[in-house]
Amino acid sequence: MEVNAIVYGAAAKLVEEVLDTDLCSGCGACIGYCPYIKTIGERVAVIHDCNICEGVCYRVCPRASTNYQLLRQEVFGSAQFDPVLGTYENMYFARAGNELIHTKGQYGGVVTAIFAYALKQGLIEGALMTGGDFTRTKPAVVSTVNEMLACTGSKYTASPTLSLFQEAVKKGFQNIGIVGRPCQVTAARKMQEVTEIKGERISLVVGLFCMESFTPDFYDYIKENNLDEYYRMDIPKDVQFERNGENIFVPFDEVRKFVCKSCYSCFDPLSELADLSVGSTEHDPGWNTLIVRTEKGAELVKKAVARGVIETKPYPKELLPLLRKAVFYKKKRVLEGPDTNYLELTPYERKYFLATGVDV
Amino acid sequence: MGWKDVALTKKGNAVLLNGNEAIARGALEAGVCYASSYPGSPSSEVIDTLSKISSSDLYVEWSINEKVSLEGAAAASFAGLRSMCVMKADGLNVAFDFLTSMNLGGCKGGLVIVVADDPLGHSSVKEYDSRYLAKAAMVPVLEPSTVNEARDMVIQAFDLSEQLKGPVMLRSVTRVSHTRGLVTLNKLPKMRRKAEFPAGECFLTKTIFHMKARDRLDKAAVIIEESGFNYYEGFEGADTVIFCCGTSLLYAREAIKTLGLQNEVKVVKVGTTLPLPEKFILNHLQEASNVIFAEEIRPFLEESIMILSSRHNLGKARFYGKITGDVMGLRGPACGEMNADIIIKVLANIKNLYYRTPGYDPEVKEELGTMIPPREYAMCPGCPHRASFWAVKTAIAVDGRDCIVAGDIGCYCLGAWDTGFNLFDTLHCMGAGPGIASGLSKLGRFGLERPTVTLVGDSTFYHAVIPGLINGHYSGSDYLCIVLDNSVTAMTGHQPHPGTGINTCGEPATTVPIEKIVAGLGIPCKIADPFDNKNATECIFEMLRKPGVKVLILRQECALVQARKQGKKKRRVYVDQTICRGDTCGCGRFCTSVWGCPGNIWDPVNGKAAIDEAVCVGCGVCAALCPADAIVVEEVY
Amino acid sequence: MKEPLNVVIAGVGGQGNILFSEILAKAASVENFKVTVGESYGMSQRGGSVSSHVRLSREFLYGPIIPAGSADVIVGFEPVEAARAALEFGSPDVKIIVNPRPVYPVGVLMRKDIYPEIIGLIKKLKEISEQVVLIESTELATKAGNPVAQNIVMVGALAGSNYLPIAKEAFEEVIINVVPPKALELNQKAFLMGIEAAQELIA
Repeated sequence: MEVNAIVYGAAAKLVEEVLDTDLCSGCGACIGYCPYIKTIGERVAVIHDCNICEGVCYRVCPRASTNYQLLRQEVFGSAQFDPVLGTYENMYFARAGNELIHTKGQYGGVVTAIFAYALKQGLIEGALMTGGDFTRTKPAVVSTVNEMLACTGSKYTASPTLSLFQEAVKKGFQNIGIVGRPCQVTAARKMQEVTEIKGERISLVVGLFCMESFTPDFYDYIKENNLDEYYRMDIPKDVQFERNGENIFVPFDEVRKFVCKSCYSCFDPLSELADLSVGSTEHDPGWNTLIVRTEKGAELVKKAVARGVIETKPYPKELLPLLRKAVFYKKKRVLEGPDTNYLELTPYERKYFLATGVDV
Repeated sequence: MGWKDVALTKKGNAVLLNGNEAIARGALEAGVCYASSYPGSPSSEVIDTLSKISSSDLYVEWSINEKVSLEGAAAASFAGLRSMCVMKADGLNVAFDFLTSMNLGGCKGGLVIVVADDPLGHSSVKEYDSRYLAKAAMVPVLEPSTVNEARDMVIQAFDLSEQLKGPVMLRSVTRVSHTRGLVTLNKLPKMRRKAEFPAGECFLTKTIFHMKARDRLDKAAVIIEESGFNYYEGFEGADTVIFCCGTSLLYAREAIKTLGLQNEVKVVKVGTTLPLPEKFILNHLQEASNVIFAEEIRPFLEESIMILSSRHNLGKARFYGKITGDVMGLRGPACGEMNADIIIKVLANIKNLYYRTPGYDPEVKEELGTMIPPREYAMCPGCPHRASFWAVKTAIAVDGRDCIVAGDIGCYCLGAWDTGFNLFDTLHCMGAGPGIASGLSKLGRFGLERPTVTLVGDSTFYHAVIPGLINGHYSGSDYLCIVLDNSVTAMTGHQPHPGTGINTCGEPATTVPIEKIVAGLGIPCKIADPFDNKNATECIFEMLRKPGVKVLILRQECALVQARKQGKKKRRVYVDQTICRGDTCGCGRFCTSVWGCPGNIWDPVNGKAAIDEAVCVGCGVCAALCPADAIVVEEVY
Repeated sequence: MKEPLNVVIAGVGGQGNILFSEILAKAASVENFKVTVGESYGMSQRGGSVSSHVRLSREFLYGPIIPAGSADVIVGFEPVEAARAALEFGSPDVKIIVNPRPVYPVGVLMRKDIYPEIIGLIKKLKEISEQVVLIESTELATKAGNPVAQNIVMVGALAGSNYLPIAKEAFEEVIINVVPPKALELNQKAFLMGIEAAQELIA
């Protein structure tokens, strides 16, 4: 159907550079503002050529040309930055003070606790979070604590949660929070610069640690192997499924084929542009690793700790090299691979990972 | 339109009827008892008319396809009643198996088959010449030239059919069926036949009966030799003769008058084109030097007369026709329809006359032509198919496997044009989509990885889709069949079908719901509303990814039927231009230049979208799809 | 009188050219003309170009298609359709009655084709015809009570123009017989508004 070819304009660029090359990470940032890009079942497509050259879609895409240095400047000003872990003020082990949130959470329940607190304090009026579970995600615009509670627990597929941003805008929220994967954090920072879409209303960005996400084919795999009968999924090393104390493990190699191709080009496993980054400790499943990056994030954590919303303890010194090593080699692998033309890195950064081969 | 006039019992009035109404009137004057059809332009008005005046003396039926329709009409004929079956040329293909069988065993009461061809395809996707099928079936053909003659021929056709004890075909074309002229009414018969199917009488099909059919045709040739439908006009001794049939008679007359050749050209009008009135034709052929053939679509009469001429070794005449390439319009010979200009051109050429076509000089025409944009078909404002097509387009794009779309015939065939987002990859005839889908889905072993979706209508479903579905299900195909159910047979004039709950005469009737049929076949079936576009899109996306044959019914009433029911609009739709994004990113004139409903127009003064409230029906789908939520739907009380 | 008189009614599917041609044909037969109306009802009704050809004769029955360049009157329910009819059937002698309200084709809305500037188009039509009369039939019909009666306003305009030897009483008689009783008042009003509008412009 030649008539329907998408050849001209920003959407066409998006198709050529990101969608057709399988570089799309499914963040959802390009969806929701215009009628020509749609998502169903975690797949994303441009459905019609709009012929508009200066398109928002291309500007907010985290896999379109991305100049991290510029973005860091916008978020952090001139603060020092660590090429491996990104800019940060402090690192903690943290967990929710509230028993209910802690139990429901994947690890420490920190994200839910912080967001519920931010909501109650009026720092945000609504948030984009991912509900559902590892058998099927359900992105949502949430504005109550209960709605946030329904979004606890880790999901491992690439849910395009940012596609709901316009819905949050239309609800009239002036301060919107976002919980997302690193690609979604990068997209959110790009969106903040786009006034057409009211991106300036994004006021709190919490990023997750992420080494890879799965395509929606993973759902079929889960169904075919009756893994949807389990309540919790985790990937400490292999893939763990747990139900009422019963655990089974699936070798990671069996699910490697479901990893999004885009993840092999991801240079940001720790959500370096977020206000706060939260992930597992890989040490104690009752706690999260919490990286405090911006002043806004620090302020929020300070208050939350003071109120008992979250509890923190210093990040164990002996674990830091392990974390640094994991991230260093991930970034090095990415830079050695193809499909990194979208990354506009400084020569310093490239050299850091490629020249010495060792984290200094 | 003119059905009230058709029903008049008072003879003598001259009333304005179109050709189809005249045919209906002729059937009534001939005492028809049973009339059936499947809607098909340009034939639909015959039964549209009779269905409004059916009574205990007349059974009228919209059947679910032409085959069943003809079988029913033949049954009435077997029982000694006069019966008529009406169809467009494409429909004759569907009824053809039965016609060729039935013509061997013959029938009893007069059986007239009215077939309406569509030269130029005004409302068709093809323009076949049905006379060739009649020839293959060995069925006589009468071709009317005028509205009044259509009425007269129907009556004669019934008589002929009873003389032969076999069916007779009346071949109409768009320019007779949809032309209006004055018809002087004859009286309607009072007597009423009784249906009888005596024990021992049978109507069988045996190869040996081909002899009977052949003999019937020979008998017909003797009868029609005396027919008043074959005559000549003009100068008897003319050496230039136009052999014509059907509408070409009127075009020939006008051509001759325009060139002033009344004393030099003879028009020989053949009303019975199969079999030919050989003596009559030979009489006019013998002394002719220039013979012109004028008829609609293919050179049927031309070929027959040339064979006749050759059999009798007449070498004198020079032939001018579609075979020689002299008789042709813009599309060349045998394609498109006839008109007076085509005949004027041939005559002027033969007579060496310079004829300046009236009108404008080429330069004027060229300049004016640049100012006139083409006008493609568009689905009506509020058409549910537009919403369905948008859902299909979206679902297929997100699915990403480059799904093949097999289309079908009906209002939704507009999916092959811009108004339907150019969705179709194939478009053939009634029910072809599922058959093609069934075949395509077997080609995985040969490397074809594209999934298939087929779009069919509700009336199409009953007509021809069920066998394709059964075949697909039974043979293990993988495809999604979407039934676009607007609860009416729309394109042809909103006739009822088994899903509508009313019968031909507008009375309540048994429903045979599509979902029950599909469930009975063991095929998974879902129903969704295309106006709830997000949900419909998700249904299509999900079902496309499941194995096997699946059916999704997208059900929403035809906008025109809705409008007739409601009368005054219940909702007002307008654009809040302060919110409308217009040309900018995030819209790019989505509603006017992509969605394309005639109700969505562009306001060039303000550079924003607007609603044409004169045509908008208030369906609200554009409001749901507007990315800025700029379109407002208000209930009006 | 010219033999035959040829009238083309051109519009967009759904604008009511069929009712118009029915009224014209019946009025003509009241005046004892032999009448042929050529048109097509079918797929073209779906937003495509539609036209009716009406042929009036004292002598014999004419075919349903007007030959090239032989229209005496063109009644256009839409300006581009009036021009389209003029292109094929017009001549320097043709008289055109046209509703200047545009109905944009799909191709124009989808920005594949360009819709002409109406003033420029009307000017061109005036240059190449004997007379062009603009009747705002949709506006008048809306005033009469329903924009759908636009075609009846045009019947009035044709009657008031006196381009054809058919008395307005013949039209009135036919309208009463053809139109459903509850719509009669609206249609009669529309008809009279059309007559007035034409007479004002042609007088």
